[in-house]
Amino acid sequence: MFLAAFSPKDNREASPDVALVRLLLQNDVGAFETIYNKYSRIVYSLVLRIVQQSGPAEEVVQDVFLQLWRNSAQYDAARGPFMPWLLTLARNRALDTLRLKSERQRRLENQTDELFSVVVAPQYEEELDQKRRAERVRSLVGELNPQQKRAIELAYFQGLSHSEIAAELKEPLGTVKSWIRNGLIRLKEGLHTAS
Amino acid sequence: MYEAYALGALDPPERAALEAHLGTGCAECAKAVAEARWLAAQLAYLAPESSTSDMLKGRLMQTVRSEAKAKSSSPVSATSRTTPAGIPYWLSAGIAALLLLTLHFAWDAHRVKEELRAANERNQRNEQMVASTENERVAIRQKLAAMEEQMAKMHRETAILTDPASVKIMLAAQKIQAPQMVAMWHAKYGIVLTGQKVPMPSGNRVLQLWLIPKAPGGKPMPSMTVRPDANGNFVVLVSNPPAAGSDTKALAITEEPAGGSAAPTTTPKWVGAMT
Repeated sequence: MFLAAFSPKDNREASPDVALVRLLLQNDVGAFETIYNKYSRIVYSLVLRIVQQSGPAEEVVQDVFLQLWRNSAQYDAARGPFMPWLLTLARNRALDTLRLKSERQRRLENQTDELFSVVVAPQYEEELDQKRRAERVRSLVGELNPQQKRAIELAYFQGLSHSEIAAELKEPLGTVKSWIRNGLIRLKEGLHTAS
Repeated sequence: MYEAYALGALDPPERAALEAHLGTGCAECAKAVAEARWLAAQLAYLAPESSTSDMLKGRLMQTVRSEAKAKSSSPVSATSRTTPAGIPYWLSAGIAALLLLTLHFAWDAHRVKEELRAANERNQRNEQMVASTENERVAIRQKLAAMEEQMAKMHRETAILTDPASVKIMLAAQKIQAPQMVAMWHAKYGIVLTGQKVPMPSGNRVLQLWLIPKAPGGKPMPSMTVRPDANGNFVVLVSNPPAAGSDTKALAITEEPAGGSAAPTTTPKWVGAMT
């Protein structure tokens, strides 16, 4: 019943972000600057949280936005909204840096999976501005028990697997799985209620 | 399971099983994974808010403007590069030193990994010492991460210095008595700028690299800053140059306040034309 609420937005064609990304295909520098001004803060905050050092974080952010500029055609609006796609790209780049992958290794990898990852926005992704959404997400995650929150943060910001988190927190594997699953379900339901 | 998959938290066997299932074309699961990816992306808001530096935006915008101009003026850009002439003795010595340092750091990294393994074993053996060994483990992991980062940087520098596809740029001192600097520019890996016996900038000031665009009226693009060591030596890696070599006329070095400047505030002390 709840999942029935999830479906791609019908009006995605009209999304301002999609229009901006389309302008990038025409080498529109103004569109790039608008996207940068709109999203560099959240992208940098995420990347800095993951890599922990401002120098490498700025390199990752530069890498992400240059990739967007040079490969904007690889963003497919039909596969999902822009911001989660951009954040997924940034997170993966930052985790690569965290895991100290060399540039040579990275080039050898097929990056198409990352670029073509499908991200479907639920219908409740209304026009919440970034500030409101940030407050909402923080509030919802803040309501989780501390260990549950820690497990989710270890997965998202450090890229740890269930087993690695269980070892890190010295908790049974099944407990960690439940924490993450239930925590994310509560976040999903909370965002749904907020819409 | 979809949420954990989107987070990248599934262990390899579970991930493989889910991916195998997704490979069968199950539309319902594919949709659930896509929705979970959206949900996972919202976790970015948990990161404390931070702002990028103005210099980053400046570098990016100059790169983007330069590339946009190049794309509009020349549909097919020439990318051929000249092969650099022989590497001078001092630069060869630098490469050898880099390789030695790489070996040194590789050994250190191995040693630290062993320490990490031992710490893990100790941790498992003695649960009463969990708190202290945990701190030890975190400290060693951080040390290992820093060393491996250093190694990755050295590998990249070595690749730039040794790859025949790199272009060598000699930067001559301007109106000062100082040795020339050498930059090696690789189209994919970036720039390595090296200096030896370079006069120390005054006070807290730094040396800053600038890329001078070919385009008429193009403004110098800010790049990395550096202070030489006590002997006047330095090696700087520019992983993501703000412009392509084909769009750059010359490299220049100025003395700037600590932290660098968005536009040059002094006249260049070293300049080298792209060949």
